[in-house]
Amino acid sequence: MAFPSRKAAGTWPNWVLAFLVVVTMATAACEFASPGQPSGMAERSRWGTSAVLTPAHATAGDAVKAFFDSRPDTVAQPFDFSHQIHLSKGAVCTDCHTGVEQGPRAGLPSVSTCMICHSQIATDRPLIQQLTKLSEQGLDLNWNRVYDYQPQAHVRFNHAPHIAAKVACSTCHGNQQEQTVARRAVNMTMSFCVNCHKEKQASNDCLTCHY
Amino acid sequence: MDRRNFIKLTAISGTTAALTACGNPENQIIRFIPEEDLVPGIATWKPSICPLCHAGCGVIARVMEGDAEVFRNGQPGVIRMGLAKKLEGNPEDAISQGKLCSRGQAAIQVTYHPDRLANPRKRTGERGSGQFVDISWDEAIKELVGQLDALVAANDQSSLALLTKPRRGRRLELLAQWLQRFGAKAPVTFELFSDDALRRANGISFGAAQLPTVDFEHARYVVSFGADFLGTWNSSVAQSAAYGRMRQSGPGGRTKLVHVDARLSQTAGNADEFVAIKPGTEGVLALGLAHVIIASQLRPAAAAGRAGAAIDGWAGGLSAFTPAEVEKKTGVAAAKVERLAREFAASAPAVALVSGAPLAHSNGMFHALAVNALNALVGSVNVPGGVSFIPQPGPAVVTRGVADLLAGTAPKVLLLDDVNPVFASPATSQVADGLKRIPFIVSFGSFVDETSAMADLILPDHSFLESWVEAVPESGSAKAVAISAGPVMRPLYDTRPTIDVLLDVSRKLAKPFAPALPNTFEEFLNGGGNPSGLPGAPAKPTGTVRLKPDATSASPKPEAPSPVVYADPVFDGDSAQYPYHFLPYASQTLSDGSTAHLPWLQEIPDPMSSAMWCSWVEINEQKAAELTIVQGDLIEITSPHGTLRAHAFLNPGIAPDAVAMPVGQGHTNFTRYATGVGVNPIAILSPAVVADTNVLAWSSTRVKIARVGEPAIDGLILFGGATRERPDWTHGRGEEH
Repeated sequence: MAFPSRKAAGTWPNWVLAFLVVVTMATAACEFASPGQPSGMAERSRWGTSAVLTPAHATAGDAVKAFFDSRPDTVAQPFDFSHQIHLSKGAVCTDCHTGVEQGPRAGLPSVSTCMICHSQIATDRPLIQQLTKLSEQGLDLNWNRVYDYQPQAHVRFNHAPHIAAKVACSTCHGNQQEQTVARRAVNMTMSFCVNCHKEKQASNDCLTCHY
Repeated sequence: MDRRNFIKLTAISGTTAALTACGNPENQIIRFIPEEDLVPGIATWKPSICPLCHAGCGVIARVMEGDAEVFRNGQPGVIRMGLAKKLEGNPEDAISQGKLCSRGQAAIQVTYHPDRLANPRKRTGERGSGQFVDISWDEAIKELVGQLDALVAANDQSSLALLTKPRRGRRLELLAQWLQRFGAKAPVTFELFSDDALRRANGISFGAAQLPTVDFEHARYVVSFGADFLGTWNSSVAQSAAYGRMRQSGPGGRTKLVHVDARLSQTAGNADEFVAIKPGTEGVLALGLAHVIIASQLRPAAAAGRAGAAIDGWAGGLSAFTPAEVEKKTGVAAAKVERLAREFAASAPAVALVSGAPLAHSNGMFHALAVNALNALVGSVNVPGGVSFIPQPGPAVVTRGVADLLAGTAPKVLLLDDVNPVFASPATSQVADGLKRIPFIVSFGSFVDETSAMADLILPDHSFLESWVEAVPESGSAKAVAISAGPVMRPLYDTRPTIDVLLDVSRKLAKPFAPALPNTFEEFLNGGGNPSGLPGAPAKPTGTVRLKPDATSASPKPEAPSPVVYADPVFDGDSAQYPYHFLPYASQTLSDGSTAHLPWLQEIPDPMSSAMWCSWVEINEQKAAELTIVQGDLIEITSPHGTLRAHAFLNPGIAPDAVAMPVGQGHTNFTRYATGVGVNPIAILSPAVVADTNVLAWSSTRVKIARVGEPAIDGLILFGGATRERPDWTHGRGEEH
C-alpha cells in the first residue's frame, strides 16, 4: 500500500517552509496595517495583490483575514470626529451623509459641510480650529469608509430604497449616539441582510443584491 | 540555529518589514475640498461634442462622482468631483443620432491620458528635444504678450500666424476675427486627408463648396468611387446609420451598393459588388456610365445642367468615353460598364459619391467633377436618395494652406492650435525645417507631438469635456445643424481654454483690442442676436465668402472655369523602376495619426486585417506568392522620396500592381502609446498636389518593394479572438526557414 512517504515530506528544505510562513504572515500583517480598506481596488497597488489569486479574495491577506473573520471594528480616520456629540446636539444623519435618500451610496462630508455650522459654532476648540485652517487652505479630510463591500463579494447595496422603506440608520450602523469615531457596530453578513428582508417581507431573490 | 528558531526569526523579521512597508498611504494624500455637490452613485448625462474629426457628432457623457488626481493652485492632489465616465452618441443630435464610432468612444481617453499636459511649459533644451520646464500661467501669458507687443512695436503684425484644423464653426470664426483684429493674415489650416478638392468641385458643379450629404436611406442604387463612407470619410457615424437603414429597405427590393476602388476597404467589403479599377481613372468610369446613359437615351445630356457643362465633351455625348475606351483606360470590362450604367439609370434614385484615393491623384478634380455630372444626369441632386448640401448658417472663414506659411518670409510668431503637420506631411515637404525658421512658436495642444515638440512655449488647452465646445457640421444631416455645449466636468489640471487665453492676451497687450472682444468663448457662443457674437463687430465681415444654402437655386459662379479635360494621372516615380502604386489610407481607428495616442484605438483590431499596435503593408496574395512573400515577412518599400520597412499582410482584395498601408503609426514623439509604434507611410510620399488645389496628392506615389526579412515577434500583430496572434512564420516556407 502506497502511503505518502514521510521521508519525502521531511526533505522539504527549511527555506521553503520559512518562505511560506513569511509570505502568509506578511500579507496578513499588511491587511491589518490598512484596516477597513476595501481590497483589490484598481487605484491601489499593494504588495501581494493579485487579481487571480482566488475569485473571492484578491490577496493572501484577504483570504487569511476572511478565514479568521478578523475584520477590525475600527477604521483609522484622519480626524477624531464624535458622532455622539453631534447627535446629542440634534443633528441628524442625513445632515452630513447626503445622498442616501436619492442614491446607492452615503456621502462623506467635506470640510465645507463642517464649516456650515463650525464657522460660527465652537470656533475656540482646537479641533475646530484645525478644521478652519484646512478650510482656508482649500484642503479636505481623507475619510475612510467604515462600511463597504469588497468588489469580490459580488453584492450591491442601495441606500435609497432602504431609507424609503423607513429602515432606521441604526439598524445597519448601530447606535451612533454611543459612538465617537464610527466603528463597525454591525457585522453585515449575508444572513444579517436575509433575516431583515424576511422580517420586512422584502425580496430575497438572489438578484436583488447579487447582480 | 535549529530549524524551529530559523523559521521563527524569519517570520518575525519578514512581518516587521511588511508592516513598515504597508502603511496607509491614502492618509498622506493631499485632498482638496470638493467644488461641487453631487449625489454619490447617481449618474447624470451631459451633452458635449466629439472633437476627433470634423463630423461634429453630438455626444452625451455619463458623469458620476469620483476621486480624481488633479492640479489645484499648482499643487497635485485628490478631489471628489463629477467625472465623465463614458461617452455615447446623443440621441437628440441630428448627426450622431445616438450612435458613436470607435474613435468617439475612445475620445474619453483624451481627458484622462497619463501624458496629457497639466500645466504651461517653456522650452529649455534644443528645439525638438522635448525638454521643457513648468512655468505659471502669469509667466506664460506675459511671455506671449511680450512677443506680440514686439510685433506691434515693429509694426509687423502680419508676422503672426496661426495654424489650426479646418473645422468649420464659430471657434474658427473667432480665431479669424482675433487675427484680423491683431493685424495678422488669415488662419492657416492643415489636414492630411483634406476634402478641399471635392469642396471645390461641388462649388463648380452645384454652387455649394462643401461636402455633400448622401441620402443612403432612400437611395436604390449607390456607386461609391473610393469613398470609405462607412469607415473614415466625412460624417461616418451619420453615414453608417443611414447605411443601416438602407440595408433594412422593405419589400421594394434591396438597394445595391457598388464600390469602385483599387483596394478592398471596409466600405468595399460591405458592397454588393466590388469593381477593381486602375488608380487615378475613377472619373473615366463615371463618364463611361454617363456615356451609356446618354447614348441609350435613358437620360438627356442636358439634364446634367451646370455640372455637365463642367465636363469637356458632355454636350456631345462624351464620345471619348465609350465602354471600349473606358475599358482601355480603367481596366473595367466594357460589358460591366454597360451593365452598371443601365442598372444605375434604371434604379432611381441612384446616387454616386467620390472621395479618398481617387481625389488624391494629380487629376483628382476631374474625378470629382465627373461623378458630380453623373449625379446631375440622373437627377440625384437635392432630392431624396441623392446628394444634398446642408445650408450653412454663416460665411465660411477664408483660410490659407501650410505652403503659404512655409513659403517666403517666415512669420516671427506662430500659434499652433493642436495640429501636427510635421508628422502628417511628406518628409520632402520639409515642414519641420520650415517651422525651425520661425523664431517663436506657441503650442496650445494637450500633448507633446512631433510639431509641438518644436514649440518654445506650451499653453495646454482644456480637454473638450472641460470646455465650451461647438460645431457647425458641414454634412451628415438633411437639415442645418449648429450645436454648442458647456463643460461636462471641471478641469482636472492647470490648463486653460485656448480661445480664452487668446482673448485674455488681447486685453493684456500694450495696445489692447478696441473695441474689446468677448471675455470668454462661452460669452462669444452665447452672444445672442449678434450673428458674429462680437460686440461692435464690423458690419461687413472681410475676407469671407457666404455659401449658398440652396445648391440648385444658386446662381452660377461669375467666372465659370473652362470644362475639365481628362488627363492621365501623373505618378511620382518611373513605372519601370517603381512598379507598384503606393496607396496609403486613413486608418479606421488612428485616422491621420492624430488619435494614435489613445490606447483603446491602438488595441482595436483593424476591421479588414485584424492588425493592432503595428504597421503593415497590404500586398496582393497572388503577387506575394510570385515574390515568395508570406504573411508577416518584413518588406522594404522604397519611393523616390524615402524608404520604410513594414510587415506584409496578404490581401486578396488589392490590385497586383499596388501596395497599401494604413496611416497613423510611426510617431517619433507622441505619448507613451504611439511613440515608436510602426512606421509612417506619409514620410515617403511625393509632395505633389492635386492640380488646381493645395491638396496633397497622397495616392500619386509609386514604390518598389523587396522582402528583407523574416516575420518578427512584434512585427505583424493580429487579433485572434481573445488573444493577440502572430503569424505562423514556418507556414508554407519549408524547413529551411
